[in-house]
Amino acid sequence: MAETRLAFKAGRAFRRGSTNFVDPDPTKGAILIQNGEDGLLHFIWKNRSTNDAEEDLILFPGDATFAKVEQSAWGRTYVLKFSSSNQRHFFWMQDADPSRDEEFVGNVNRLLADPSIVPIWYSEGYNPNSQTAGPSTSSAPAAGSSQAGQHATPEELARIRSIVSTLGAGGSGGQSFQPTPEISLTDVLTPANLRPLFASRPELAQALFPHLPPDLPSPPTVETLERVVSSPQFRAAVRNLDMALRTGLLGGLVRTLGLPEEAGTGVESFLRALQDQARREEGEGGDRMDTD
Amino acid sequence: MSGEDDSSGWQLTESDPGVFTELLKTLGVPLVVDDLYSLDAEALAELQPLHALIFLFKWVGGESSEPSSGGQYDPEFPGFFAHQVVNNACATLAVMNAIGNIHGLKMGPQLAELLSFTAGMDPQTSGMAITSSDWLREAHNALSPPSAISLEGLDLPKTTEDAYHFIVYIPYAGSVYELDGLKQAPVKHGAFSESGEGWVAKAREVIQARIATYPPGSQVTSEQVEFSLLAVHDDPVPHLQEQLAQLQAAGRQSEAAELVVKLSNENSKRERWAFENSLRKHNYLGFIHALLLNMAKAGRLEAAKEGAKKALQERIERKKKGELMDED
Repeated sequence: MAETRLAFKAGRAFRRGSTNFVDPDPTKGAILIQNGEDGLLHFIWKNRSTNDAEEDLILFPGDATFAKVEQSAWGRTYVLKFSSSNQRHFFWMQDADPSRDEEFVGNVNRLLADPSIVPIWYSEGYNPNSQTAGPSTSSAPAAGSSQAGQHATPEELARIRSIVSTLGAGGSGGQSFQPTPEISLTDVLTPANLRPLFASRPELAQALFPHLPPDLPSPPTVETLERVVSSPQFRAAVRNLDMALRTGLLGGLVRTLGLPEEAGTGVESFLRALQDQARREEGEGGDRMDTD
Repeated sequence: MSGEDDSSGWQLTESDPGVFTELLKTLGVPLVVDDLYSLDAEALAELQPLHALIFLFKWVGGESSEPSSGGQYDPEFPGFFAHQVVNNACATLAVMNAIGNIHGLKMGPQLAELLSFTAGMDPQTSGMAITSSDWLREAHNALSPPSAISLEGLDLPKTTEDAYHFIVYIPYAGSVYELDGLKQAPVKHGAFSESGEGWVAKAREVIQARIATYPPGSQVTSEQVEFSLLAVHDDPVPHLQEQLAQLQAAGRQSEAAELVVKLSNENSKRERWAFENSLRKHNYLGFIHALLLNMAKAGRLEAAKEGAKKALQERIERKKKGELMDED
């Protein structure tokens, strides 16, 4: 199975005729560097709307470099150029936050020179979930999560470990490594928040029963729901999901819930995506629940 | 103990009597495990016949390899004794050491085969045989949450209790033995008298001596339980039911009423254990998703997020205050 070494949001740009101008194509995409099943390094451009890999270039070590286009006034245009030919492929960074461009480009070039290297990530003082003001993009790379259901790569695991170890079990490891600390799922799914929900909507209970453990000793009731959401097992599951969301790599998992990949990049992204999903489902008719 | 996390596919389980009892059920063993809050005669009498006592405490490290007071290593111990080879398997290993020496114990065919396979093996090899047993590992793992998120090897802080260390006390050939999977051999604590309370009287002495060696403040109190005791004993329910039938047939109503209460308490406890075990095995991702989605549809998610923001702020403030105080 192909193993993604690196991925980040990027669009393509095409030369305008025979001029020296390149025009960026607005299509949302991503560059993925993968170890293919053929044992070779692949430089892939994927269309993020269709999820199709529209470009798949095999690169031998030292074949190509990924350089900044200095003449670009915008400053975030790059070109993949080859030592063996005149081929040029232009790309532009699509992540709203430019602070990681250098990191990604550095790693692309390291991999192009030597596919066996381990990418270098800025782990100290780095937060993959730093929320920018922009509502529609997150600065988390699509690394790994763009392959639905795929496990994290060894490099990603190493990075997650360094981040998670600073999170600590009770936040006690916390230094000022987060510019904007994220809210915790455990504070959202509290019994205090959930009990009134169950009480005000008895029909909701029926919709939730199928999600309860299937082998309860007696058939579930509203009281069962309350017992479950106060249980240490449920609270531990919420804590685990919270921690996993903070790694920013749950893109593959959240897609199984019908959510977009961005929902797997952090707690707030997850909740926002859920609010979108709720609005969409309400809009599709069927049971309309009155808002409180 | 290796510093590496080599769990070899064994998940960490809770050290709850309901978990142990469920494991025994899976092994086809008709015994029950209960919390012991006291070692006094009355408490123990309730649970007779008692087959083993399991003493658990949080591993503090640095414990000497001297046997605890009054005992001696018995490397010639002919019964079942396995070393703890994988840390996460400690609960199941303790169960094996507790029941591997009960004469005439009913058990399922797989366990019988495993015990006969390991007969005569040295403790290290026994331990490895136990931890390589796929069916046993599956039975063990069935008692803890499934990894809902396929990010194995992540070393996320564990949310189940920290690994407890388990020490088993059993009667064997007229003496009380201490079976500790981390010690080189079983420790023989000396002979017991069959009369009166039997072996548990001697076991009580040994355990109390052990507890006395811990620093003060780590006693078993309701506020600060650093260690606890479990009793492995026969399932009382069939016997209680028989007795009840007899008393009712003989018209001894008030005694029958007492038994009804006992049976009802026992059954409530079992129901609670069954409930907790089913909660332990469950993958909550779908449930969490449905809860949040319905909170959103009910227009309650924004308010919950606001509440979460406040809670976060409060924690940050408290931490800051804590830090300021430290600086003084």
